[in-house]
Amino acid sequence: MDREELELFRASLQQACSSHTGKALDDALDELGWRDALGVDRRAAVSTLFELQGMANATSSALDAIMGRALDVDGPVVLPPLGSCDQPRARGLGTFAFANSKPDGVTVCPVGGIDPALGLVEVTGELQLASPSSAWPDAVAAGQVALAHELVGASRAMLQLARDHAVERIQFGRPIAAFQAVRHRLAESFVAIDGADGAVGAAWEVESPMNAALAKAIAGRSARIVARHCQQVLAGVGFTTEHPFHRYLRRMLVLDGLLGDARTLTNQLGEEMLSSRRLPPLLPL
Amino acid sequence: MELEEFRSGLDAWLDEQAAALAPSGAVGSLDDEMAQLAKVKWATFDAGWMRWGWPERVGGLGGSPILRAYLGEALTARDLVNAGGYSMTEVLAPTVIDYARPELAAEMVPLLLRGEEMWCQGFSEPGTGSNLAALSCRAVRVDDGWRVTGQKVWTSYAQYAARCMLLTRTGPPESAHRGITAMFVDMASPGITVRPLGTMHGGAEFCEVFFDDVAVPFERMLGEEGQGWSVAMDLLPFERSTSLWHRGALLNRRLEQFLSAAEAESVGASEVGDVFLQLHALRARSRSTQHRMAAGERLGPETSVDKILLATAEQSLFDLVAAGLADDVLLGDDSASERWRAEYLYSRAATIYGGSAEIQRNIVARRLLDLGADA
Repeated sequence: MDREELELFRASLQQACSSHTGKALDDALDELGWRDALGVDRRAAVSTLFELQGMANATSSALDAIMGRALDVDGPVVLPPLGSCDQPRARGLGTFAFANSKPDGVTVCPVGGIDPALGLVEVTGELQLASPSSAWPDAVAAGQVALAHELVGASRAMLQLARDHAVERIQFGRPIAAFQAVRHRLAESFVAIDGADGAVGAAWEVESPMNAALAKAIAGRSARIVARHCQQVLAGVGFTTEHPFHRYLRRMLVLDGLLGDARTLTNQLGEEMLSSRRLPPLLPL
Repeated sequence: MELEEFRSGLDAWLDEQAAALAPSGAVGSLDDEMAQLAKVKWATFDAGWMRWGWPERVGGLGGSPILRAYLGEALTARDLVNAGGYSMTEVLAPTVIDYARPELAAEMVPLLLRGEEMWCQGFSEPGTGSNLAALSCRAVRVDDGWRVTGQKVWTSYAQYAARCMLLTRTGPPESAHRGITAMFVDMASPGITVRPLGTMHGGAEFCEVFFDDVAVPFERMLGEEGQGWSVAMDLLPFERSTSLWHRGALLNRRLEQFLSAAEAESVGASEVGDVFLQLHALRARSRSTQHRMAAGERLGPETSVDKILLATAEQSLFDLVAAGLADDVLLGDDSASERWRAEYLYSRAATIYGGSAEIQRNIVARRLLDLGADA
């Protein structure tokens, strides 16, 4: 896509994500040809949608499309349980799209949990996959990069909320954004987001399962940093359900857990480094 | 010359020259470090590598500045140079090229590139740390030039430097950033005294520099009278671009060396993984900065993000080193231990030098988050 097409694409996705979520967003994506875009320019399709979806706190089954593409399956993909990246055999998770397409011998249960709006389901049963599992690492990598974009989007939204609050909220006769303690928390969040954004960009520039896992781990880690500082800046109002912050906090926690949370991925990375006594391949200039 | 061609050619040349370029004996003292730096710069200039990425009018061979980023990375990753001293070129040469008279730049820059000279940067003063615009080192206009009187501090490698990029106060004391003029001063000029400072990490890299009625000809001005603040502001992003890429390469190298030196059971996997995550995020970020710079984009306050990522990652890495190699860092007296200890202690300054952690966050808050003035 050239610059102009990309801007148009982004604008229509933004419109779709801000007015729809779930099945309705899926329909809107079909209508505006997101799946075709995925075939033409994978990076633009994934990075634009998932970042906007994260910013809008919306959800779709686009993750199924992305992972399904790697696995060569059409329809919902069974995700590993929280914290794991292994191909699920008996128990896993799925997007809301599972509710409409129940495969035989599989039980699908809605998940409430901390973020009911995400619409996750729990999937149990004989989870035979038609595709060979040799494609699984690529599917995980593709999913991790998408989720990393979504985490960056959610982080940007949290920072925007906190920044606007800090500029508008007056205490001691001035906006609280004038106080260095507040400014530095916002700056810390900004830096965390830029670091994650860099790592996600690098996962596209140099595609590998390692770079995808690093991007996901960094995005999860940075989303937690952003959530902590922004919640503190938003203070009382951010703790109420009248303010949108809580939705992003909930979403960020679950997105971090899907396809390997930052803590688990970091620990695995460290173990590999300690046993091999080597660094993972460094990004080339 | 494209990066791929440069990379493979340089790597092959470095393999071939490994013995000739290696430090002769252990690099312990600062004198050794400077001699090694001069040797490597001379050899790489002579073979042409050091000239790529610099304009032809200052002795370069042209090409993208990304080639300079790779050269510094390759030399650092092979432990041939110390990134700190090596990268001074990346900070000072671009500013001289942009602001010195063309003849002066053409005469001077090659001396720095080929390691014949070291240069230093006279910015900070005893009364002027974070608040650079308040500097008071005074330059008074006389018939044939300026007369400079005052003091600088934290001037890296001043005792080795042949020239100094100096910020002086030429306007009235209250003129703040408007009354500053930048000059390119010969360190051999009568009236300059250099006094190295002892620092906790051991190497006396930082100096105090005293100026007592030092004569500086008009043609040594960088930019116009009163333009010194722009010179300084244009220089600072260079501190946070190519030189940060080099420093990041050094940190990756040290993490690798740590992994082979540490007992696996003495460190936690999550701590090791977390340090690599930070270095990876820094590298990804710095990589895109290198490419923006190569594309001719003007670097600005967004490079403060690179500096914050670097300083945080550097301290995390050496916290890990101090825990995993505690015997070496705390008790060891062999040269490997001394290096780990010196670098651990030096890392404590990563959030202080080149614009403190607080100043960097102020820049992010003001310029990137648009939070307005602070209280």
